Amino acid sequence: MNKWMRENLWRHSIAIATCLFSLFPLYLVILSSLKTSGSLQVGSFIPHEVSLDNFRFLFHSPKTPYVLWFKNSLVIASTVALSSVFIGAASAFAFSRLKFKGKKLGIRLLLLVQMFPAVLAISAVYVIMERVYTFAPNIGLGSQGGLILVYLGGSMGVNIWLLKGFVDSIPVELDEAAKIDGASPVQTYWLIFLPLATPVLAVVCLLSFIGTFNEFILARLFLVEMNGRTIAVGLQQFIGGQYASNWGPFAAGSILASIPIVIIFLSLQRFIVNGLTAGSVKG
Amino acid sequence: MRGKFALIAKIVFLGFTTAILALLTESAFAQKQYVIGGFILVAALALNIVYLTSISVPFKFFLPGILFFIAFVIAPIFFTVQMSGFKYQTGNYIDKATALEQVINLGAQPDAQGTTFDITVGRNSSNEFAILVSDIANNKYFVSTPTQRVDVPAASATFNEYGVAIKAPNFNAMSADALAANDAYSKIRYKYEGDYYIAIESQNAGGVFRQELTYSAKTGVLTNIFTGATYVDNHRGNFAKVGDPTVLLSPGWRAPIWFENYSRLVTDQKVRTPLIRVFLWTFFFALFSVLSTFALGLILAMSLNRPIRGRRIYRSILILPYAMPSVMSILIWAGMFDSDFGAVNSILHTNIHWLQNPSLARSIVLLVNLWLGFPYFYLICSGSLQAIPNELLEAAAIDGANPRQVFRKITLPLLLQILSPLLIASFAFNFNNFNLIYLLTGGGPTQTLNGEIAGATDILISYTYKIAFGTNFQDFGLASAISVIIFLIIASISMYGLRRSKVMESFG
Repeated sequence: MNKWMRENLWRHSIAIATCLFSLFPLYLVILSSLKTSGSLQVGSFIPHEVSLDNFRFLFHSPKTPYVLWFKNSLVIASTVALSSVFIGAASAFAFSRLKFKGKKLGIRLLLLVQMFPAVLAISAVYVIMERVYTFAPNIGLGSQGGLILVYLGGSMGVNIWLLKGFVDSIPVELDEAAKIDGASPVQTYWLIFLPLATPVLAVVCLLSFIGTFNEFILARLFLVEMNGRTIAVGLQQFIGGQYASNWGPFAAGSILASIPIVIIFLSLQRFIVNGLTAGSVKG
Repeated sequence: MRGKFALIAKIVFLGFTTAILALLTESAFAQKQYVIGGFILVAALALNIVYLTSISVPFKFFLPGILFFIAFVIAPIFFTVQMSGFKYQTGNYIDKATALEQVINLGAQPDAQGTTFDITVGRNSSNEFAILVSDIANNKYFVSTPTQRVDVPAASATFNEYGVAIKAPNFNAMSADALAANDAYSKIRYKYEGDYYIAIESQNAGGVFRQELTYSAKTGVLTNIFTGATYVDNHRGNFAKVGDPTVLLSPGWRAPIWFENYSRLVTDQKVRTPLIRVFLWTFFFALFSVLSTFALGLILAMSLNRPIRGRRIYRSILILPYAMPSVMSILIWAGMFDSDFGAVNSILHTNIHWLQNPSLARSIVLLVNLWLGFPYFYLICSGSLQAIPNELLEAAAIDGANPRQVFRKITLPLLLQILSPLLIASFAFNFNNFNLIYLLTGGGPTQTLNGEIAGATDILISYTYKIAFGTNFQDFGLASAISVIIFLIIASISMYGLRRSKVMESFG
């Protein structure tokens, strides 16, 4: 017993204390989503009343077209994730496997440009999309199409970089064998590389999905119409400064919106951690 | 068979894309968006050349990526750098030609009495816009166009119950709906007497004005024909009065001022003081965030580095903050610390204004960022701890090192070496952690009374955002200059980090 205490007690206490820290706000949100009154005021840690009014409000009140918001988020995030991985994978393959002039320069530029504070290029993006609006309203400012284009462009650098890290880790023997057998780079890419890389691409796709789902500033700037908003913008605008009246529905809404993301994340944590370190740490 | 299918798919897809891009180019040129139209045109050409010929194989792979990259990453950066050399702020938004036009339009003054007339808007017999003016006081009526004025004898006009002429020979009144549909009539100056003209004030009223400012395109001088004052381009985006350069005509235009936005960062005290304060806090915030998240992550990784009971459950709970969409969790924290309705006050039975007190607000920002960030370092540290060869630690233990010494002399230095690129990346990320500040405190608390816009928790990026998109005054030029500076800081830090990771690569 004494030995166990010395060996393991401190481990458990640290773990439990930190678990409490990490659960604290989440627990409070779950509590307030189950309350009838709107405020976040929690008298005690044990719920006295459990009601689903807040969830009902989300789905029935015209003030919160929650289902539409959710749908918008899903559509935008999955379009961006799929297309950016489709486009990015090809670039990453070229950067990782092909030899050409200016490759090093290209990689450096890609990395350097990512350090520009993206939030501040927003005013420029805004001006560009404002001009696009004058001749193509469907992909200009204020449209989901325009937002998707901007996301795609913005995610290009990060995704190519991330994908390159993954591609580097896929053994080259197979595509070298294909090359010897007379396959062109394009054939190698479609017939050998893509099937091999599918699991990796799926992970990057999901990371990109989560990233887009989380994006807030651009979405807020672009999506002015209530029904066209994403869930992040919708919920943020909905509480605004009025925590008092709208807190309960917000809590319910943020829980529902977080569940799919949390599930994706937990089930893929091993791959995601590899992805986080790929490209910067070896071994 | 497969090759044929691929070829057909390629041609169909390419044709489809080209068609769309061609349409976009055409409508862009129709709207005079030459730069954007030109870019789309070049993109379409490039796509066709690259995919229909074998000029360059690598381009087949990264052309679409490059096009997106140029359009939405490079171009905005370029634009931002360019804006940093301009006076581009509230009052100086438009280009010079538009500004001049507006200055001249604003240079019209009502006559001394401020005369207004009842009018009826319509068209004359040659179908030009015309107004039927009723000078009821003097019992005079006339039809006016920009070029001529025809008097109408009262006997030949028809009047409504207020004595306003509504019908006259050679004049057809237009309905209110027709006028609402086309407001071109309201921008015309209708002839009155001498220098004076009648400007439309509403559908039923017109005022007597005369043009004071005249512009000479040859000399570039604006002259007030009545006072004789002259105004010239001050090369800083405004027309300024000759003899008294502080008198400016508005609006101004965006004008190149080269490096003035940069020099203001150093010389202008109103810009410099908050900037230095914000910069110091940004630096401290980023450094503290990295250190605290790394420390907590490392402690956890060390504690759970052994297969103790419940480790998987701990792990799942511990990474919850990282798995939650951060926008949601930041908003949740903001709500919890709300002074009136927040859970923290109601649990503690206090009434503390958490986010209104500078030091408290800063502590909360750091605490929330610790919550958001420690799981990342926990995950990474646990991975890295396993990568440290066990023999090394065992050898140290055999040599008589106690656990603390092993940690300080072996584990920590090795970890730091492995993780230094990630620590630097995390510093760079937090340096620009806009979402956290914007959603949690909005940069506040701010002492708005003395016109300050930088709040206690504002970091450089959120402060710059306020400068560029503020509610009262927006200064894109200055904001762009600060962006460029931030870029230089982050780039040099990251380059340093990159170099270190390069060193590691060469070691194997």
